[in-house]
Amino acid sequence: MTTKPDTAPDAVAVEPSAPEVERDTPRARRVVKLALRYGMVWALIVLVIVSVYVYPTFLTVANLRNMWSQNAALGIISVGMTLVIIGGGFDLSVGSVYGLGAVAYATLSSQSLGVDLLIVVLIGAAAGLVNGLIITRMKVNPFIATLATSSVFLGIAYVWSKNGPVSVQPGFGGLGLGTIAGMPISGLITVVVFLAGGIMLSRTIFGQGIYAVGGSAEAARLAGLRVSLVRCATYVIVGALAAFAGSIDTSRLGTAQADQGQTLPLLAITVVILGGTALMGGEGAMWRTVVGLLIVGILTNLFDSLAINTAVQLLVQGAVLVVAVSFDNLVRSAPLGRRKS
Amino acid sequence: MGDAQTPHREYIIEATDLRKSFGGVVALGGASLAVRPGTIHALVGENGAGKSTALGAIAGRLQVDSGSISIAGHDTTRITPRAAQALGVAAIYQELTIVPGLSACANVHLGHTPIRGGFLEESTMRRRFKDVCARVGVSIPPDARAGDLSVADQQMLEIMRALESRAQIILLDEPTSSLVQAERENLFRIMRDLQSDGVTMVLVSHNLAEVLAISDEITVFRNGLTVTTATSDQWTRDGLLEAMLGRAAPDLLASHRATQPVNARDFVRIEDLHVPGILEGISTEARHGEILGIAGLVGSGRTTLLRALGGLEPSARGRLLINGTRVRWPRSARQARRLGFALVPEDRKGQGLLMHMTSRENVGISSLRAFSLAGFVRRRKMTREVREAVKTFALDTSRLEQPVRNLSGGNQQKVLLARWQLAKPKVLLADEPTRGIDVGAKASILASLRDFANDGATVIVVSSELEELTVLADRVVVLAHGRLVDDFRAGTDGVSADRMLSAAFAE
Repeated sequence: MTTKPDTAPDAVAVEPSAPEVERDTPRARRVVKLALRYGMVWALIVLVIVSVYVYPTFLTVANLRNMWSQNAALGIISVGMTLVIIGGGFDLSVGSVYGLGAVAYATLSSQSLGVDLLIVVLIGAAAGLVNGLIITRMKVNPFIATLATSSVFLGIAYVWSKNGPVSVQPGFGGLGLGTIAGMPISGLITVVVFLAGGIMLSRTIFGQGIYAVGGSAEAARLAGLRVSLVRCATYVIVGALAAFAGSIDTSRLGTAQADQGQTLPLLAITVVILGGTALMGGEGAMWRTVVGLLIVGILTNLFDSLAINTAVQLLVQGAVLVVAVSFDNLVRSAPLGRRKS
Repeated sequence: MGDAQTPHREYIIEATDLRKSFGGVVALGGASLAVRPGTIHALVGENGAGKSTALGAIAGRLQVDSGSISIAGHDTTRITPRAAQALGVAAIYQELTIVPGLSACANVHLGHTPIRGGFLEESTMRRRFKDVCARVGVSIPPDARAGDLSVADQQMLEIMRALESRAQIILLDEPTSSLVQAERENLFRIMRDLQSDGVTMVLVSHNLAEVLAISDEITVFRNGLTVTTATSDQWTRDGLLEAMLGRAAPDLLASHRATQPVNARDFVRIEDLHVPGILEGISTEARHGEILGIAGLVGSGRTTLLRALGGLEPSARGRLLINGTRVRWPRSARQARRLGFALVPEDRKGQGLLMHMTSRENVGISSLRAFSLAGFVRRRKMTREVREAVKTFALDTSRLEQPVRNLSGGNQQKVLLARWQLAKPKVLLADEPTRGIDVGAKASILASLRDFANDGATVIVVSSELEELTVLADRVVVLAHGRLVDDFRAGTDGVSADRMLSAAFAE
């Protein structure tokens, strides 16, 4: 640092920020910083190696294709959940909206596929709008609001399905079962949704608004952003995606049941947080959710193939979430950057 | 520029009879303000006089209970920040409105991000960021996470955001309180440039010398009312003070130096303190009844030194001697308290006070053991002693049962000091104790720091206000780049702002 009085402003401004950290951070600490920042990527690599080792058929085309289509619905919902969580929110109703979408898809499967999907997505968006309005207009905490609407949406789905499974009409299975050049259509759709979500989050003004609103709602408001609109939009998107995910699974399974998605909210939140997106909002990225989804997907695949019973699976799922959240706290409290002199 | 909007209008901003209260506390009781286009108009007044509230109402940050506001002929009484921006109004607030998780570059463009076809124009954003950095004379890496920057840099980002928005009206609420001298001068240069481009500015500041130097007109606020408006050349510093206080001004910068001889025995001795990456080999001492001032630029390690003593820097290594006895360096705030250290942090709201609790609880929180019997708090005793403690700080005891967040900045600082008055620390560590606090309260806070010293405590003060250290400190150490570069006594060497400045900028 060469500081002469006439260059003082520069020195003053630069010093506490990044260059100082770079200059004085010992190599060991930089390694720790990198390890923490990309911690889940390392975990994923280790998991893949372990899977290949303990489960020889892990890398077969059939298994990969199976994994891909099985996790399509979870992936699509996780894209929406990423937006909601970065925006400082939370959505526990995605499982019920997914069920609603599933029942709607099965019940409606009489007209053309396009019209059906459009109606399903609109129903999901409407459910999301209800969440968004309750949260932004009535100022109800997102946790409570979506817990309550989850129950309401599930009730509607039960009534609609007359409390039983609804079979899909023949010809509506392509969405979940079809393939293009050997790749599952549902899997390809998931990739498209991830790409669209990722680009929207990182490259558009709306995406930036989500980060701003989740990071500091008051700062965003004073900067002239429409905080409620941005928040509300994230719930509408996750609702539409959850209902869409419901139709994909219905198409794959051939029947729809109102309560088939009740473990999804926890799973989707696990996927997002596991990737390293901040639980409190404002920070995160779509690629992180991809990493989280791969970890959860591979873990589930591993358990299924090793015939580990559901009780143990649930136990591990919960434990993974706790570990992920405490890891999130650890990363955020680690002295990665100097805040002040 | 802006001529279309303001065709020969006498006033570009007109606010009439503004009234606003917060939970029963009147912030504005019928204030009126008129700002001429193309001028720099300063608002001055004591803390809680209503300046910031008036500014917030104009910017749309908050809405008045009654009254009317118009900007360039539009009725803007019930405006939102977004609508105000559409009218060409940008505001720089005292509370930093930075989104911590976004990059420095994204923060500067927040609210008016350049886009093409719905997508961000990253390259344009970067180029404009570089340009505006050069314009304000700072160099901040565009990708730095804003939350990791210093308070001063965050303040600069806010100023840059206002410049980027190409606003025709800029409202500045205490923009200089976290800036060092060179940055302030830079800001004033920019303000004059903007003025020559026809931009109107409204400035709230506690620094009367600054206000007199830069503004064209000054409006004085007192108790939620506007007292008078006059052109700057009609005001003097004393005249302003008198108008603000409603009585003859106390001598603000009267010396607060030790009235009693300082005990020659050193009390706290720091030897070879290292905090990796920030402080390198600091050794100094402070005596009983002495006020030790720490000067230096933002980023020099001043705050870290205080935090290390307060037990908040777990990576601190060094020797600490109290009355000649070596003690373990405190590794937590609790350990530091055991040793008798008490910290008054710069970020009062975030780190000092429990904002949702009452003033009484905030004052008593560190002395609960003294009021308790078998773990139960004796409320009456607590109330009595808290009342006693706040009396010395001229804090209205009727406010004791109100949440501390309803108090003005000056009163909040008094609550914090009263807390330590009650807990009687051996060493009081004060970080920017008068930041964002008006003159009237400033004098009483400086006086109370001296009282702590006169009662035998050692007081260590970090301040960017060099004049403050000149009148307050018995001894000053200057830090630069994490090293101690100068150390002098008021009695023998004379504490001067010049010497502190040249030491702080020397390499």
